[in-house]
Amino acid sequence: MAILEVRNIEKHFGATKVLNDISFSLEKGQAIAIIGSSGSGKTTLLRCLNFLEKPDKGTISVGGSVIFDADDPATQRENEVRRKRLHFGMVFQSFNLFPQYTALKNVTLAKELLSQERPDFKEHKKEILEEIQAEGLELLAKMGLSERANHYPRQLSGGQQQRVAIARALALHPDILCFDEPTSALDPELTGEVLRVIRSLAEQKTTMIIVTHEMSFARDVADRIIFMDGGYIVEEGPAHDLIDHPKEERTKQFLSNYSSP
Amino acid sequence: MKKLIALLLALSMAFAMVACGSNNSGNTTGNDANTTGGNTTNDTGDTSGDAETESDLAYVQDKGTLVVGITYFDPMDYKEEGSDEWVGFDADMAKAFAESLGVEVEFQEITWDYKVEELNSKAIDCVWNGMTLNDEVQAAMSTSVPYCTNYQVLVVPADRAADFEGLTSLEGLNIAVESGSAGEEAAAALGATTVPVQAQANALMEVSAGTSDAAVIDFLMADSMVGEGTSYADLTYTLNLNEAQDLPSEEYGVGFRQGSDLVDAFNTFWAEKVADGTVLETATTYGLQGSVILE
Amino acid sequence: MIEFFTSNTFQTVLSALNSGFLKTLQLFFITLIGALPLGLIISFGSMSRWIPFRWLGLWMQRRLPPAGESGASPSLSLWQHYLRSVAGFFQLFRPVALVTRLLVWIIRGTPLVLQIIALFYVPGMKDWFNWPSGENGRMLAVCVAFIINYACYFSEIYRGGIQGVPKGQQEAGQVLGMTKVQIFRHVTLLQMIKRIVPPMSNEVITLVKDTSLARVIALQEVIWMGESFMKGNSGIAGLVWPLFFTAVYYLIFSGIVTVLLGQLEKKLSFFE
Repeated sequence: MAILEVRNIEKHFGATKVLNDISFSLEKGQAIAIIGSSGSGKTTLLRCLNFLEKPDKGTISVGGSVIFDADDPATQRENEVRRKRLHFGMVFQSFNLFPQYTALKNVTLAKELLSQERPDFKEHKKEILEEIQAEGLELLAKMGLSERANHYPRQLSGGQQQRVAIARALALHPDILCFDEPTSALDPELTGEVLRVIRSLAEQKTTMIIVTHEMSFARDVADRIIFMDGGYIVEEGPAHDLIDHPKEERTKQFLSNYSSP
Repeated sequence: MKKLIALLLALSMAFAMVACGSNNSGNTTGNDANTTGGNTTNDTGDTSGDAETESDLAYVQDKGTLVVGITYFDPMDYKEEGSDEWVGFDADMAKAFAESLGVEVEFQEITWDYKVEELNSKAIDCVWNGMTLNDEVQAAMSTSVPYCTNYQVLVVPADRAADFEGLTSLEGLNIAVESGSAGEEAAAALGATTVPVQAQANALMEVSAGTSDAAVIDFLMADSMVGEGTSYADLTYTLNLNEAQDLPSEEYGVGFRQGSDLVDAFNTFWAEKVADGTVLETATTYGLQGSVILE
Repeated sequence: MIEFFTSNTFQTVLSALNSGFLKTLQLFFITLIGALPLGLIISFGSMSRWIPFRWLGLWMQRRLPPAGESGASPSLSLWQHYLRSVAGFFQLFRPVALVTRLLVWIIRGTPLVLQIIALFYVPGMKDWFNWPSGENGRMLAVCVAFIINYACYFSEIYRGGIQGVPKGQQEAGQVLGMTKVQIFRHVTLLQMIKRIVPPMSNEVITLVKDTSLARVIALQEVIWMGESFMKGNSGIAGLVWPLFFTAVYYLIFSGIVTVLLGQLEKKLSFFE
């Protein structure tokens, strides 16, 4: 069964339709890449999944249960949205690390705040916080940032910051990890370290949606690729097929602008 | 950061406490009485309607304090060196008046320009501060019988006094005056270029500092603040401007809220005190025996 | 020289100025304690997105024929045009933001000295209520006027500070499942404080000096005390130097405030 099921999503900004009849699904352990030119609606789609935008039509289901239905206000209650967001992790293009916290605190903050809601928090406060701390350090180690745990974001390079952001998203164990052009804001020589991390996540069968401009990376890492244009899904298919043998004319046109290695 | 905030908070608390403390031990008498009194008026105000327009006297007696609006004016309202008590002819008589009403007296220094607003907003109950009874004052307040005469004099540097002898015109001179005072009118009438300042005392400063040629102020103030043995030993006064203009002398009175029955209470009180000699006695203490009205 | 500083006159003046400066400080700190939180509340008000009649606007819009597509609906009458704009108004009408911004405009657009005079005299004249008599009442009135005035200035600084925090910070908090309150407390607040410290420092230094406006209703703060020796006080008259000597108090105090705020700024420089 698909872990994520998106059905007929539509989104307007004023009179402009930015998402049109978007439907796709994602299996557990799969990585899906979304490609397309700027303004094609890729980012808006990710933001809809994270409840940063509210779709005007359509439904979103996770693990078989509907978490959003545009026609059912009961699925849009503010206090429930907060919980529902936790199904998704989000890695932003511009990192959005909290500048006033160290790398480690960036990773652990949300979990610490969530743990306060646990009934046994008062009783085992020390143990719980220590556990979160240890887990955060472990995540940073996985990102190759053990040495940087106590550095502030401004003391880190862009690539390091983005890796902290990935660790931060992973800390809450989301069902689906979303990347919004994770390397676009980076200098070219720094993209490699971030892509390596995402690649290893894919190898560990992390369920992911990656919005990216890196075509070869998308082909190598993703199981499937969605090509979007003008708010529509133009073509969807297995990664290698779509990149190497696109069916649609528009896809071909788009890909020809990128020289594949 | 936390320490810094804590420190700031602690500091401010300390200041607030010290300041409150100093207020309570301040120079006013009957501070406590008036606070509680004020509350009672507010409470009864609802039931008895507009009590204070009916009787200002009742309002004052109800709250238990007569708030007297003053400015520093030697010999009317001033403090002796090293003392925190208001004394002077006006101050002493105000204390006696309050006693006759059976209330505490409280002296409140005010900004002279706002004396009418102070009265009308009930921040004070009377203006009793060597106030000249001119048209402006009589239009805005209910005033008592005149109790003291006064005239405007020209204050000049002592070493140039001879230059001003026998002058009938002030044309071409810069004369410092209190803004809106009787002195301002008088100086302007004699052709002076006036320099209006905030208070009569500031007019003296102008002469002392040489920024004005001379000043026109009340005789009573000049008499006590200018000349040998005073703060302005280098100044002297000449020329009675009222005489120079053939104007009658000015008179001092006490100002109350318009329509206040405190005026009658005051006039009765004053007549009694004139009759039993208290007024003359007090006036003599402050060197005003020549100016006080004893009719 | 030394005789001067040990003279009775100097001692008298100094103790008078000290008592005046105590009032100045009291006013300063009470204003800060009151205006800092009140300003934040006002800034939230001015940013309020509460649109209570949006449903009415939307409902009206649905009932009305759609906007004319180049001559397609010449039938749209004047009345319908009017209703359309009313519907638009309801969809944008934010009463809380409107009222708070109006208040901020009035308070910032008129002189503080006028507000002090009005606040102290008008209630008594109109028989609304009386301020407690004596110095305490004057201090109370002045404090209220200062708190309201400074809260309005602070609110604009807060607003700039909050809106200056990139939107991505809030979104990062949201996707991590934080509540609005948690986001404000743990994400936005410190970044806002860092942004507002420099403009706030300016405002606080101005406050130190603005306290002197309180003497308009005869609050005997330090400048009033300094001036009193010109007119006469404790048997001393005609002294100008006490007035200018008050500058020493202001300089020392604003110096301390500047250093403290500078330290705060430095402490916050660990992040960008």
